Amino acid sequence: MPQIPIIMPQLGESIAEANIVQFLVKPGDKVVADQNLIEVETNKATMSVTSPCSGKIENFSAELNESYTVGAVLGYIEATKEEAARLGLDIAPPKSGDSDRISRSETNGSRTRVQPTVRGLPVPANAAGASYLSPRLKARMTELGLSAADLSGVAGSGAAGRVTVEDFEKFIAHVEQQKISGASSMRVAVADAMRRSWTRPLATVGLPVQLDSVLAHRKNQNPKPGPALYALRALAIALAENSAPAGRLVGNKIVHPGSIDVGVAVEAEDGVLVPVIRNADKKSLKDLTQRYNELIDLARQRKLPADATGGSIATVTNYGTFGLTWATPIPLPEQTLVLGMGAGRKVPFWDETKNQFVPVTESNLTLSFDHRVLDGGAAGRLLQRIGELMKQPEKL
Amino acid sequence: MSLTYLEAIREAQAHALRDDPRVFIYGQDVGNFGGAFKATKNLAKEFPGRVLDSPISEDAMVGLAVGAAIEGMRPIIEMQFADFSVVGFNQIVNQAATLFWRTQIPCPITVRLPFGGTSGSGPFHSQCIEAIYAHYPGLIVLTPATVEDAYAMLLEAVALDDPVIFCEHKFLYYHLKAEKLPSEALPIGKARIAREGRDLTVVTYSAMVHEALEAAKELSSEGWEIEIVDLRSVKPLDTDTIVASVARTGKLLCVGEAWPWGGVTAEIISRVTSEGFGLLDAPPQRLNAKDTPVPYHPNLWAAHRPTARSVAAAARNLLRS
Repeated sequence: MPQIPIIMPQLGESIAEANIVQFLVKPGDKVVADQNLIEVETNKATMSVTSPCSGKIENFSAELNESYTVGAVLGYIEATKEEAARLGLDIAPPKSGDSDRISRSETNGSRTRVQPTVRGLPVPANAAGASYLSPRLKARMTELGLSAADLSGVAGSGAAGRVTVEDFEKFIAHVEQQKISGASSMRVAVADAMRRSWTRPLATVGLPVQLDSVLAHRKNQNPKPGPALYALRALAIALAENSAPAGRLVGNKIVHPGSIDVGVAVEAEDGVLVPVIRNADKKSLKDLTQRYNELIDLARQRKLPADATGGSIATVTNYGTFGLTWATPIPLPEQTLVLGMGAGRKVPFWDETKNQFVPVTESNLTLSFDHRVLDGGAAGRLLQRIGELMKQPEKL
Repeated sequence: MSLTYLEAIREAQAHALRDDPRVFIYGQDVGNFGGAFKATKNLAKEFPGRVLDSPISEDAMVGLAVGAAIEGMRPIIEMQFADFSVVGFNQIVNQAATLFWRTQIPCPITVRLPFGGTSGSGPFHSQCIEAIYAHYPGLIVLTPATVEDAYAMLLEAVALDDPVIFCEHKFLYYHLKAEKLPSEALPIGKARIAREGRDLTVVTYSAMVHEALEAAKELSSEGWEIEIVDLRSVKPLDTDTIVASVARTGKLLCVGEAWPWGGVTAEIISRVTSEGFGLLDAPPQRLNAKDTPVPYHPNLWAAHRPTARSVAAAARNLLRS
């Protein structure tokens, strides 16, 4: 049986809505056309909503003492098909899959009316959500020199948790009430580099290596190379054998390194500097040592010459100097790789030939990489190769 | 004394006739009958020979007015309904709008268009066609929303040397009242802040100003403060006032009783996104009549045009976006 809506009628010019005062019938009651169903009140008078047809009251969706706009559906009447046809309301409501039916009948030529060509975009044009930044918010952040990472602490009140400009202004006002000190330009530069780097999927693999041969070799050198230089040299040799893991992904192309220039992370006041050893694959450890020590000193004094920074293809960082045994450093944004070195520790090592534990000095090597460029296997093979090279320090 | 919007239009015409001997009124039944809506009631008696009945030809009415303007007169043309002005479209857009550009002779005619929907008026007596005229360079298009503006802007329309399309809303004719006529008004081309607010800007004009004000009242009880910009004149369009308001609120909703396609609301959004993109904290929205001919049935009509309810609903969506 068709259901005919009971609609709030136009109750006079300039009247847009009316208040429900009383229901004169109840669901289930039989009614005839033009019978008074609901008493409504406007700011001018009390009037009745009449039945559009005869039938049975199915339900009232309107509620007592609530106001409804002209044209609003107040309930439904169950009427006969004949009654519905008389009112022109015998068309079935659209069901899902209806649009398919229309297009089929269109191709049959039975439907000649023009249909809109686009029924909604395939992607949401108003993509809102937690990550959505409105043009205004972006403009405001640019004005203050902020990036999206600075908003991580703001819980948005907008749709799907997006940060609205009001949320942002409250956040800024709140920040301003707290103790504030300026971040150094170095801090800001590091922050920016790390933010850019973090836009990539990064992963880390690790491998313990025995440092005893390195330490023994080091003792006899003058000047003494730092342990990180051994790692640097091993990395340079491994990359000279196969430079692909140090390639950068740009769009659908791999950009290969032109020369094996490797940087070293040096902690300098309130930040990190990365002096670069050029062509680290072409000079021996012995030849590199003096230059390496010089650069480290210059970096600590923040006096690096311009030709000794930038343009490196990978970095070595010795977090072992802080006593750390394991870390997952982030490669510089323009690099794919960072080789980390943990603190050396005496550990028991099961010696198969002696059939007993022996004390060895062990350190963890970690390789953090851009997972878009290489996978765990390739990273693992590179790290294994570095480990092998470090077992024979005299060849470095 | 209390005056309606319609009476203000009559008073403005009487004032213009009294002040300037070059002014005359020409239109169907504007003489002794006093006009279809009585906007020229008693004017024929008061100003003999200057309030003249025309034949039923909008084409001829505007053509005569252009000729009279060339000869130095300042005619006011009354269309019975805005809908019928398109019969005289050629004279308005090809002759009147271009006259000064072609000949350096100004064309100070005022074409009064009783426009907009009223209950049960249907497709030929309800249309809002201000955007069509605004499309043509050379025309000024005015859309007063208040009794005061109806009076002051009609006087200014007659005084302007350009052809003016004066859109007076039929829904406002009897509903709107003012205590007295204004002695001064904002200049033509300047929008008015009809209500101050901080959360969202509604830009609208003519009868929709009152729907927006009603919606703002409702939203105020929910804690939202809506700023309403009454354009007054859709051409020229006061972009500065609109952009300044969006700068305060960050959110824009344009409301028009006209159809959406290529209309005034579209033009406003285009300007704000071009000139004030960085001010927007949400995608700008608009609310227009449905993109169909205007229905006769009062219930359908009420659903066809924006109302305080639908304005409030659209505003709520935008406020929560």
